[in-house]
Amino acid sequence: MNEDQVNDIIQRWRDTQEEDLKLDDYQLFKNLGSACLTEGDGEQLLQFVQDEKNQGILKSMGHVLLAPLINDAVKKKKNLNHCQAAITHLIKTCRPNHLLNSLLEVIEDIDPGAISETILALIPHLQTVLLRLDERKAAGVGLVLSALQKQVSRLPVPYTQQQVEADELGLCRCCTALAAFMKPFTEEVKRKDRNCVTTAEDEELKTEILKFCMRSLREPLLEAELNRDRKSPLWLFAVEIMVTLPAITEPLSGLLFFSSQRKSTMMDSSQTNESKACLAYLLFVQLITIDSFPAVFSPVFVLQCNMEYINHLLSRKKESYLLKGLALFSKSLENIQDNSLPVSLLEQKSVYSVSQNLRQLLTDCPMQHLRESGLEIFQLFINKLDAEAKHKFFRCMLKTSSHAGVESYIVKNIRNQIEFSMKPGNANKWFLGTELLPLLGLVLCLPQGAETDLLNSMDKIMESLNLLRYVLIRDKELRSNADVWEELCRIKDEYLKMLRVCISISRAYYSSELKALKEDQKLKAKEARDAARSNRLVKSITVKHEKVSNMSPEVQNQVLQSALVTFDLMESLIVRIEEITEEKLTKLN
Amino acid sequence: MTTDQDLSMDGQSARAVFAAKGTDVTPNKDQGVIKVVKRQGLDGDRPMIGDRVMVHYTGRLLTGKKFDCSRDRKEPFSFNVGKGQVLKAWDIGVLSMQRGEVCTFLCKPEYAYGTAGNPNKIPPCSSVVFEMELLKFEGEALTDDGGIIRRIKVKGDGYTNPNDGATVDVHLQGSCGGRLFDCRDVSFIVGEGEDKSIPLGVDRALDKMQRGECCILYLKPKYGFGSEGKPEYKIGPDKDVVYEVALKDFQRAKESWEMDLSEKLDLVGDVKNKGNQYFKAGRYYQAIIQYQRIVSWLEMECGAGVEQQKRIQDCIVTAHLNLALCFLRIKEFSQVIDNCNKVIELDKGNEKALYRRGEARLLRNEFSLAMADFQQVLQVNSSNRAARAQISICQSKIKEHHEQDKKTYANMFQKFAERDAKTRRTKRRRDESERSGMNGEVGIKRRRRSQDCLP
Repeated sequence: MNEDQVNDIIQRWRDTQEEDLKLDDYQLFKNLGSACLTEGDGEQLLQFVQDEKNQGILKSMGHVLLAPLINDAVKKKKNLNHCQAAITHLIKTCRPNHLLNSLLEVIEDIDPGAISETILALIPHLQTVLLRLDERKAAGVGLVLSALQKQVSRLPVPYTQQQVEADELGLCRCCTALAAFMKPFTEEVKRKDRNCVTTAEDEELKTEILKFCMRSLREPLLEAELNRDRKSPLWLFAVEIMVTLPAITEPLSGLLFFSSQRKSTMMDSSQTNESKACLAYLLFVQLITIDSFPAVFSPVFVLQCNMEYINHLLSRKKESYLLKGLALFSKSLENIQDNSLPVSLLEQKSVYSVSQNLRQLLTDCPMQHLRESGLEIFQLFINKLDAEAKHKFFRCMLKTSSHAGVESYIVKNIRNQIEFSMKPGNANKWFLGTELLPLLGLVLCLPQGAETDLLNSMDKIMESLNLLRYVLIRDKELRSNADVWEELCRIKDEYLKMLRVCISISRAYYSSELKALKEDQKLKAKEARDAARSNRLVKSITVKHEKVSNMSPEVQNQVLQSALVTFDLMESLIVRIEEITEEKLTKLN
Repeated sequence: MTTDQDLSMDGQSARAVFAAKGTDVTPNKDQGVIKVVKRQGLDGDRPMIGDRVMVHYTGRLLTGKKFDCSRDRKEPFSFNVGKGQVLKAWDIGVLSMQRGEVCTFLCKPEYAYGTAGNPNKIPPCSSVVFEMELLKFEGEALTDDGGIIRRIKVKGDGYTNPNDGATVDVHLQGSCGGRLFDCRDVSFIVGEGEDKSIPLGVDRALDKMQRGECCILYLKPKYGFGSEGKPEYKIGPDKDVVYEVALKDFQRAKESWEMDLSEKLDLVGDVKNKGNQYFKAGRYYQAIIQYQRIVSWLEMECGAGVEQQKRIQDCIVTAHLNLALCFLRIKEFSQVIDNCNKVIELDKGNEKALYRRGEARLLRNEFSLAMADFQQVLQVNSSNRAARAQISICQSKIKEHHEQDKKTYANMFQKFAERDAKTRRTKRRRDESERSGMNGEVGIKRRRRSQDCLP
C-alpha cells in the first residue's frame, strides 16, 4: 500500500458516517497504526492523531489504536513521548465506553513479561476514562479492578526485605498504584453517603470496592510479610484497604464477627474466609485501625470468632499463612485470663480443628522457628483453659496425637496441674479427685501391650514414670479419698507390670541384635583379611543382609547401646517408684 | 442528650451522682453496674436474651476522656445481647433497657475491662462510664437465611449444648397463627426429631440451647412443615409456625475422638439406614445430618490393616455419595461437587461420583465441565446410557450458548452484556431456589435413574 492509497482511505473515512464503518475498517485502521509504530514513526502517528481534520475518525475508531500504542510505550523508549501524547489525546477524544473496552482487552492480553510496566502505564488512563464514564460506572470500575487484580496476582510476592526494596517484578508499585486508583471512587462513595443520597448505582460501586478489598486481602496481603516498624509499600497498601472498608460502610466488626448476609462477594466461602483471616490478622496483630474498632467485645468472644480464621491459616502449609495464624492465635489468647476458658469452647468445631492443626505443626512442620512458636502457643492455650477444659483437652490430645513427644508434653502438663491443685484453695475433682483416674488411665497404658516399641514411646514413658513418682511422693492429698487411691494403685501396678515385661522382651531383642552385630563385624574383618590375601581371586564377597537399614556398623552399635541404656533408665525409675511405695507403706504401718 | 456536663467532673463526683440517682442493675447487687436513665423508653418493650440489638454508645473514663464511640464511626453498633459477646456490664445493662431509652452506666472494672484494662485505651482496674441509646432489637437468626429466629425467655445454665445424636427432654408448644396445635413433653434424639413429628427448625435449634433454657422459635415453612403442611396438626402448606421450647435435660452423644474405631464402625450401619430412611421419605435435610455424622466420625480415621482400611473407605465413599445426592435434591450444587470431589479423591473412577458431579455442573451451567464428567463416566462404564443422554444435552446446551455468545460479541458492549447475562442468570437461579421450598418437590418428581438409588 503506497502513501496515496493510504491518503485515499483516510479521506474516505473522513467522509463516512460512523454507522457505515465496517469491521474491516477498524481492523485496517489498527493495522495502519501498528505499522506506523513498528517503523518507528511515532511522530507521524501523533501528528495524525492531533490533526483537526481527523477528529471524527478518532471519535469512532481511535480506541483501536490504544493497544498498539500502549504496547509500544511499554516496550520501547524511542517513541515514548509521542506514544504518550497520542494516548493522552485519544483518552480525551474517544468515547469512554469504547476506550474502556479497548483498555480491558489490553489488560487481558498483557505480555507476561511486562505485567507491572503495562499496569503502571495503564492505571492513570483507566482512572480518567472511568471518571468520564456517565453510566454504568460501577460496573466499569468492577471490571477494571478485577481484570487488574487478576494480572497482579500473577506477580510473585516479595519475601525478604531486600526483595521488597528492589521490587524487581513490580508488585509493590502495582499495589500502590491500585490503591491510588481506587481512591477517587471511595471518596465519591463517602461524599454521597454524607449527603445521604445513595442510588442503586452507588450501592453497586460499594460492592465492587468491597470485592476489590477482599481479593486484595487474600492476594497479595495474606502472603506478604508485614511489619509495623517497616512501613513497606505492602504495609501501606494494607492500611489503605483497612481504611477503605469502614469508609464504604462495611464495619469491620460486622465483616469479622457477624457474617453479613446482605452482600455476597461472589467468592467461594473458603476464599472469603481467607480474606477475613487476613483482615483479622491486620486488625488484631498489626493493629491497623484498631483504634476505631469497637472496644466493647469480650476477649472470649473475639477468640471464639478468630478461631475460625486461625483454623484456616493453620490448615495451610505455607509459611506466611502459618506465621499469621500463630500470631493471631497468640494475640487472641493474650487478653484472656488464665484458667478461664470453659469446656464448651472445646466443643466448637473450629477449636478442635485448630488444636489438631497445631499438633500437626508441632510434629510435622520442617521449620524449626514455627515449631518453637507453635509450642509456646500450645502451652499458652492450655494455660487459659479452666480445670475441666484442661482435663478434656488432655484426654483429647492423648487419644488423638499418636506422637510420643506431644504425649510426653501433655503428661508433663498433667503433673503440673496435679501440683497446682494441691496448693491450698485450688483443689478440684479434675486433677485431684475421681476425674483424675480416667486421665491417668490414658497416661499409664501401653497401647500395644508387651509389643510396644519402647524406644518410640520413650518420651511418654519416661514422663509417665516421673508423674507416677511425683504422685507417690505427694500422696497425702490423694490418699484422702480411699477409693481413688486404691484405683490409682491398681492402675500403677498394672502399668509397671506390663512395662517390666515389655522392657525384658525389648532388652533381650536388642542384646541379641548387638551380639549379632559384633559377630558380623568379626566375620567381616576376617573376610576382609582373607580377601586382602587373595584379592586377585575373588572380587565379590557375599555380605550378610543388613537388618538395620543403611546405618554404618558404628552408628548401629551406638543406637543399640543407647537403647539398652534407656531400658536401664526406665528400670531404675521403676525400682525407685517401688521403693517409695515400700517406704510409704512402712511409714503408714 | 449530651452528658458532657456530667462527665466534665472528676471521678469522685461522678460516683456521687450515680450513687444518688442511680440503680444497681447487677443480679447480685454488688454495685458493679449502676444505671441512670436520661430518657425513658417508648413502649416498655425490652430485648430478650440472645436478641440482636442495635445501640449507639460512648465510653468514657472517669476523667471524662472518651475512649470509644459508635457515633464517631457513624454506624450504630449491633450484637447479640446476653451471650457473652460483649463486656459483662453491657449484657446486664442492655437487658435492663427499653426500646428508645437513653441512659448511662457506671461500671466497675470486674464488669468492664478487668485488672488488665485495654492497651492504649483503658488503664488497669478502671471504672468506666457508658452512655447508651437502645435503637432497636430483633430476635436472633439461627441460620443464614433467617428461617429460624429465636428469642430466649429463660437463660439456661452452663455452657454445654446438645450435639447431634444427643438425647434431649423437652417441653414443646407449637402454634400457628395463634392456634396451639401441639403441647407435650417429649424425649428424642437430636437429628431425629422428625420421628416424633418435631420440625427441622426445632431440631436444629437444640444444639444452640443450654440446659434449662426456654425460648420461642419463629420458623419459616422450610424449617417448619414445608409445602406439604402437617394434616395431623391441621397445618396447611407453606405456613409459618412458632414453637416455645424448654430444654429440661439432655445427654450429649460422644464426640468423635471419644469413640473407638470399632465403636464407630458398629454404629455406622444404623446411622446410614436412618439416613436412607429419611432420604426415601424425601426428608433430605434430615438425611444429610445422618450422613454427615458418618463423615465426621471416619474422616480422620485410617484404620489398621488392609481390610479395615477398605471398610472405612467404603463407608466414607458411600456417605459422600449419599450426601451428594441429597444436596442435588435440595439444589445445593456446590455442596454436591464438594462431596463428589471427596469421593473422586479416594476412588478416581467412581462412576456415581462422576455422574453426580456432572449433573450438578450441568445445573450450574458449566456445560463443558459437565460433559467432561459424563465422558469419564463412559470411560469407566461404556454401557451407561444415562450418561450418553446427558452428553447430548450438554452438547446442545453448549451450542445454544455459543450462538448466544456470537450475538453478544457482535455488540460493542460485549463485556457489559456478558456481565448482565451473568447477573441475570444468578438472579434467576436464586429466584428459583427460593420458590422451591424445602419439600417442594417431594412426590411430584420421582425421577428414578440408574444413578438415583442409594448405595
